[in-house]
Amino acid sequence: MLRFLISRLISAVPVLIVVSLVCFLLMWIVPGDVASEIAGADATPQQIAQIRMNLGLDRPLLQRAVDWYWNLLHGDLGRSYLLNRSVTDAVLERLPVTLSLAAIALTLAIVLGVLLGVLAAVNHNRPLDQGAMTLALLGLSMPDFWFGLMLIVVFAVQLGWLPTGGFVPPSESLVGWAKSMTLPALTLAFTQMGVIARMTRSGMLDALGQDYVRTARAKGLSGGQIVFVHALRNALIPIVTVAGVMTGVLIGGAVVVETVYSLPGSGRLIVGAIQRRDYPIIQGGLLMTAGIFVFVNIVVDVLYGLLDPRVRHGR
Amino acid sequence: MNAVLFRRIAVAVALGAATSLTSPAFAQKAGGNMIFAQGSNPPSLDGMVTSSQASRNITMHIYESLFGYDEDIRPMPILAESLKISDDGLTYTIPIRKGVKFHNGKEMTAKDVKASLERYRKHGATAGLLNPVTSIDITGPYEITLKFAKATPTFLEAFASPRAPAVIIPEEETGKDPGKIEFIGTGPYKFVEYVPDSHVKLAKFAEYSQDTRFKGPDGFGGKKTAYFDTITFRIMPETGARTAALEAGEIQGNEQIPVPTAKRLAGDPKFSVYENKRWGFLTFIMNLKQPPADNPKFRQAVQVALKMEPIVGIATEGLFGLNHGWQYPGTTYDAGDIGKNLYNLGDAARAKALLQEAGYKGEPFSILTDSNTPEHGKSAVVIAEQLKAVGINAVINQVDWPTALKIRLQDTGWNGWTLVMGIEPYMGPVAVVSTLSGPTTHFRQPDAKLDELYQELITGKSVEERQATFKKIQARLYELNAIIKIGDVGLAQATRSNVKGFKTFRFPRLYDVWFE
Repeated sequence: MLRFLISRLISAVPVLIVVSLVCFLLMWIVPGDVASEIAGADATPQQIAQIRMNLGLDRPLLQRAVDWYWNLLHGDLGRSYLLNRSVTDAVLERLPVTLSLAAIALTLAIVLGVLLGVLAAVNHNRPLDQGAMTLALLGLSMPDFWFGLMLIVVFAVQLGWLPTGGFVPPSESLVGWAKSMTLPALTLAFTQMGVIARMTRSGMLDALGQDYVRTARAKGLSGGQIVFVHALRNALIPIVTVAGVMTGVLIGGAVVVETVYSLPGSGRLIVGAIQRRDYPIIQGGLLMTAGIFVFVNIVVDVLYGLLDPRVRHGR
Repeated sequence: MNAVLFRRIAVAVALGAATSLTSPAFAQKAGGNMIFAQGSNPPSLDGMVTSSQASRNITMHIYESLFGYDEDIRPMPILAESLKISDDGLTYTIPIRKGVKFHNGKEMTAKDVKASLERYRKHGATAGLLNPVTSIDITGPYEITLKFAKATPTFLEAFASPRAPAVIIPEEETGKDPGKIEFIGTGPYKFVEYVPDSHVKLAKFAEYSQDTRFKGPDGFGGKKTAYFDTITFRIMPETGARTAALEAGEIQGNEQIPVPTAKRLAGDPKFSVYENKRWGFLTFIMNLKQPPADNPKFRQAVQVALKMEPIVGIATEGLFGLNHGWQYPGTTYDAGDIGKNLYNLGDAARAKALLQEAGYKGEPFSILTDSNTPEHGKSAVVIAEQLKAVGINAVINQVDWPTALKIRLQDTGWNGWTLVMGIEPYMGPVAVVSTLSGPTTHFRQPDAKLDELYQELITGKSVEERQATFKKIQARLYELNAIIKIGDVGLAQATRSNVKGFKTFRFPRLYDVWFE
């Protein structure tokens, strides 16, 4: 297992190098820079050139890249042009928001999606199956910004049970934090739940048709034991893969939900930086997001091994 | 001493005392936390280094400057006691108010003022306004003197500009780089915390030194009273979420609401809706260095082809004013009917005839616009359709704002550009014309006659002289047709109805506002 883990960690390094290189090249290709943004619409070319010089943006791309990697090796991701703080601080400030949102949404999506998928598979071709799949399809096809606004209108404006947005740190108030996370997590979970429900259903239908399930039935095991202990464990492998990819989506791509609910998360940080060409934040933020994504995938690989010994033993 | 200018300041104080915005009919009540929502993060809270509206909304509660604009956009003293201008116009002596405290408890003196202005020269977002000043000297513990190489009659108007105000901060902060200072000013509210993408919190400054020369707030100055214990500016980018928060009572004020929402809320007693019809000018700028807009006949064709009402109506969702002028109607420099005969015509026949005269052969006419400001994108679509209707091969190039800023600085790659001028029209003729003159003119190719008129404007010795020059400028703009005035853009704002004393202005003034 240790060798397996080390080989996965080593293979992550080139991925991160490629991600950072792509970031650099994209920044070079995309027109416009932070100097124009800082200077404003009425700035003269001289003012913009001066700002570019002050920020070091007039240096050749290669030199900037070498400096950036050198600083990275020293644990320094640089300093934001606009936020007046280091990239590490800016991203780390946002991560608790994004990670807690992703964790709750993922848990909800997995629990609801698996239950819905199992319910559909066990009641294959019956009204419950069709009902569950309609709900999953609804989740898949509903735009999250619209669903988010609808939840706000019902639960915050009409009923007044939950806040319309904003983030309350758990250190300030645990109840406040739970309230502020409920609607955003539900919004994210509902759209992701559909994917998991459909995959669970199809995996469970395969598993329930296998010989070992027939054997288990012949042995006289209860329906619950057959479904949850034997069939579900085998159906879980593709779900774990999807959940791994989903974690990356939730961490890097929750920007719409963060925007609708005014959450100061890392998605908004990075998208805001892209809109204003704050290169250090874009490069550092994407690298850290990619790092988390790679880490989650390693965890997924490890989980594979736990769920399926053939993977662990290289068979 | 220049009696005229000195008298003007005195009159401003006197007028302010008489006309400042007091609300005697209401019983003001102190206390509470005002939560006010805005869409963007302030790029900086270092008041002098940014010209961003999102920053100004907040910093104008923290900092104050020597001079500012009054309610009628005339310079008025704020931290300055008065102003004495020598007869030759080369020396400005500015006594400052005594007993004004900074948020750190220190009293403001001439040392702080000089150090702040020197920092403004270095880091101010519009540092160029101090270019005519050759020296800033301390001539008393509460007095500074500015020296000029040549008389600059429009200096005070420029110096009082709220765009990136020359705010006064403690001397010990002035050596720091942009954005690195402690946010300490003399304003009625002091800085507490800033959590980007979440909120900025301010608290009432108990030792605030009110300007008792006035009866109430006036423009950016006057007698300011902080009623709220704290003010929280919440950063909420999603328009619908801001409206929902207002309806749920989580916020008490909203910087900007969509016009249809304003109409819906206006009928609900729980809300107060405000319309500011003088928020900006919607303009269409052409690139004179690139065919076909290098041809004056082609530009005339565009001018007469455009019907402004649908363009500005759609762009603003209905909150607009049709105004051909390059100043707001009824303001000091309003140039009257000049150009009105060429505005809002939508004359397809005349446009087609002019295109034929121009020898236009259907070359692509690329309209640069961006997705960040809705008015830019929406107006570009309507303009393109109207131009296509007269035979112009208009295509839209919609990019994001930084890309648009980059492209418009090039001589090639664009033919037309949609732009809302926000604070420039508010600041008066010099601010508007400065963007259109010189080598960095918005339309790329300087116009010698316009440049000459700009010089005449900034050196005009009296308001009357400058008014006459501005009339010539407006006439020239309608001859040149390099920039086309589409219309005046409005802004809708809303508060909960228990918020009293709020009046829509260039920034949301949250002093002299209270909860019922």
